[in-house]
Amino acid sequence: MLPILITLLGAIAATLLGFFLPRRAITVISMVTLVLSGVSMVTLWNGGLTSFDGSLQADNVALSIGLIILLGSLMTLLVSFDTAARAKLAFPEFDALLLYAVTGTLLIAFSGDLVTMLIGLEVMSLSGYVIATLQNSRRAEEAGMKYFLLGAVGSATLIYGIALVYGATGTFNYVGIRDATAGLQVQNVSLLVVGALLLLCGFGFKVALAPFHQWTPDLYSGAPTVVGLFLSTVVKVAAFAGMLRVFGGAMQNVPAWAGVMQILIIATIVIGNLGALFQTNFKRLMAYSAVAHTGFLALALLANPATGGPALTYYLLVYTLMTAGAFAVLAALQRTEEGFSLDDMRGLFYRHPAYAVALAVCLASLAGLPPFAGFMGKYLAFQAAFQAGYVGLTLIAAMGSVAALIYYLRPAMLMFMHDRTPAREYPGERTPTTAAVVLGVVGVTVLGVLPNLAYGLVANPAIWTVLAGR
Amino acid sequence: MIHFFIFLPVLASLLIFLVPVRWREEFAGAAAGLTLAGGLWSWSVGGLSYYSVPWIPALGVTYSVQMDGVSLLLGIVTAFMTLIAIIYAGKRIPNPGTMLSLILMMETGLLGIYAARDLVLFYVFFEDALIPALLMLAIYGKANRMAALVKFAAYTLFGSLLMLISIIGLKYYGGSPTFALVDLQAHPVTGTLQTWLFLGFLAAMAVKLPLFPMHAWLPDFHAQNHDSGVADVMGTLYKVGAYGLFRFAVVLFPDAMLEFRPILMGLAAFTALYAAWIAFSQTDWKRLLAYAGLSHMGFVGLGIFSMNETAMIGALFLLAFQNIYTGALFLAAGMLQERVGSLSTKVGGIMTQAGALSGMTMTLWFASIGVPGLVGFVGEFSILLGAYQVSPWLAFIAGLTTIAAAAYGLTAFQTTYWQVRPAGAVLAHDLKDLDWLILGAPIAVSIFFGVYSGPALALVQPVVRTWMAGLGGGL
Repeated sequence: MLPILITLLGAIAATLLGFFLPRRAITVISMVTLVLSGVSMVTLWNGGLTSFDGSLQADNVALSIGLIILLGSLMTLLVSFDTAARAKLAFPEFDALLLYAVTGTLLIAFSGDLVTMLIGLEVMSLSGYVIATLQNSRRAEEAGMKYFLLGAVGSATLIYGIALVYGATGTFNYVGIRDATAGLQVQNVSLLVVGALLLLCGFGFKVALAPFHQWTPDLYSGAPTVVGLFLSTVVKVAAFAGMLRVFGGAMQNVPAWAGVMQILIIATIVIGNLGALFQTNFKRLMAYSAVAHTGFLALALLANPATGGPALTYYLLVYTLMTAGAFAVLAALQRTEEGFSLDDMRGLFYRHPAYAVALAVCLASLAGLPPFAGFMGKYLAFQAAFQAGYVGLTLIAAMGSVAALIYYLRPAMLMFMHDRTPAREYPGERTPTTAAVVLGVVGVTVLGVLPNLAYGLVANPAIWTVLAGR
Repeated sequence: MIHFFIFLPVLASLLIFLVPVRWREEFAGAAAGLTLAGGLWSWSVGGLSYYSVPWIPALGVTYSVQMDGVSLLLGIVTAFMTLIAIIYAGKRIPNPGTMLSLILMMETGLLGIYAARDLVLFYVFFEDALIPALLMLAIYGKANRMAALVKFAAYTLFGSLLMLISIIGLKYYGGSPTFALVDLQAHPVTGTLQTWLFLGFLAAMAVKLPLFPMHAWLPDFHAQNHDSGVADVMGTLYKVGAYGLFRFAVVLFPDAMLEFRPILMGLAAFTALYAAWIAFSQTDWKRLLAYAGLSHMGFVGLGIFSMNETAMIGALFLLAFQNIYTGALFLAAGMLQERVGSLSTKVGGIMTQAGALSGMTMTLWFASIGVPGLVGFVGEFSILLGAYQVSPWLAFIAGLTTIAAAAYGLTAFQTTYWQVRPAGAVLAHDLKDLDWLILGAPIAVSIFFGVYSGPALALVQPVVRTWMAGLGGGL
């Protein structure tokens, strides 16, 4: 349980030291904490440890998702180095809350029962609400308010679902639920099904599955960019980790949820991709693209965990790298926290060639063009869903990708078109942000050419059979 | 050696930005020349043998490449035209570093397509060639390029993604351990399932070929590209649909190919004639050439879909050499634009001022419309000969195209190069130094292989025979 404790200690340290040290020092401390936590996760690899009677489990699934979470958080902190001051976020509380949120996300990834998962989710969400409203502006307040209200509804639904599942199975533990539902010898199947569907709705709010996605565009465009980066990567990864544990492991045999899930995925892919087609603000476009990617990611959840699990993990890693990379470029270049309009991107290549190429790589990867890793992620998700028999769904997802290519292509190509109007970007050098961008771009390129580097680690089907714990 | 041949261009395209600006053209030219030399050397040793290593073992994706006769012929043609395009781009485009880099990047994509013997690898190269093409259009295109760009990308990706799903299905339903072509051939999918998978595969290839309802991206793509024609040369090299059909569809979906043969041949013949008809009314050289290329590709499609040995040899031959003369014609159109500032086919009187340019353009047009003695004839004749054995009527309809081609090609040539130069028009200067090489080398190749097609046919024939042998021979 060391990795979680380290981030928690880091959060407490950031809270207390915030009274004495300047903010940049706190950020450095936070980053060191995250790295230490990562190191301790690596040492636990293949250990298969559990504690609190199975309430927390450090199997390879938890560790690989935990590492992805840490990577996303690290990139957030790197970007916040430069842009926090302009975003009026430059106080140590930001780092402290961020680390509390990371602690929550790790709890979800390592959870062994529904209660632990819920605690993690609430810690993450509450910190998230505060981070979203931390900036003193009307836009951020409105965004945070929407996030809070809808998030609270989501949590309530989730809790009610957990209660019903407990009522039907008599246990919170994933293993217990799995055993109870294995032959479907539960006292009350309808109670279980309703519970599972409520859980699905609750998670739907957290990962932004349509029609529970309404808060995303407003939140990502209203909140500061660095917050958008954090919420669209780390928080989403964690919520998917929870879904993987619950639906991939504990409740895999429960009827009906897969059917409803299919409908939600279709709605998500259609609404997310069509919504993104008509955006003129790059941040809103990224928000809708995040919704669309939720649909693709969820495809992997439907599949058999032995193929869907590694696909989901690889996709989440790649998604974190490319989304964080794109947001980092945006954070480095925008003049105000409202981001770019697409027209502002015209000719970017001739003013900031390196940033423009990096953003183009991230967008190409998001669109799923090889040799970038986004292609492999999408391919794995499609393959997993196809092999599980969801051929029609895969076809719809493929059609959604065509729309996706168009809306990613427009900003990407506008950057390369000549333009004579004066620059609209922030001119300065931003070294830490550039480091985050480089991390993202190198990551998607290397993982695209040599996907086995990451996929090989999680490809072993054996580690996915124990999703629910031993 | 084979990896050197495939990846040298992309390596050069990345390194080019480290080279001082004034040496970039020479550097790119050297890289393209070296690649061509590698291709010719491979030819002299009889092709490059099969090489396969696991790429993503957990998924059964392999890195399998080979350069047999067909791949080699297309690869050498690609390398040759890339070199020509680079020489022209270096001369014509100011500060050409980005363009040269994109050309080289695209060359690797194309060579990879021809070399790939694994379906996922093929898909990766197939999409890779897309990125530089999009960037060329975005950076160097004309005013309405955004619409052309979106159209091109949407059509292409629509097909590709259906193909990707077919690829996944092919391995899954066939139970093959890997995506390598040999394994997939050993574990065939049969029956209705094969038909559905074939349709997915066909969607991608029909867009790239392009076949009649999927062709709408092509004229805009060429018309909106840079005037120089360099981007168009790479665009014509890009017609990999026919190759994909030959390499993968014929052996993986033989029953479905036969089942759809009448429809597909009909579509191909219609595409050839329809494109020639539209080309007749074009007043812009780029659009005219785009439709002419489309018409040629209809011919190639007819050859491939007929599943007949002679026709298929002819189709691959035409596919390879069409790139040379159509590419050179795009460059000639670029030279015309450079001299008179317009791509209109109604300029008039160029012959009196720029005799060499006009003469060479005319020779290329003769190759394009299939005059015997030039390379276009060999391919078109073989296709018609083979297609006639399968379906005489469709061969007849397609044969009309050659007449139509003479009509649109020579009419446009006449109104541009003959007639009277309008009073007060700018003086069109004739070919200078490297221009001779840029148009001369393709013409030399067209004449040489038009008269003595043996060496090129010898590359194609054995491969086609092997490919067709697997189908039971009774076709």
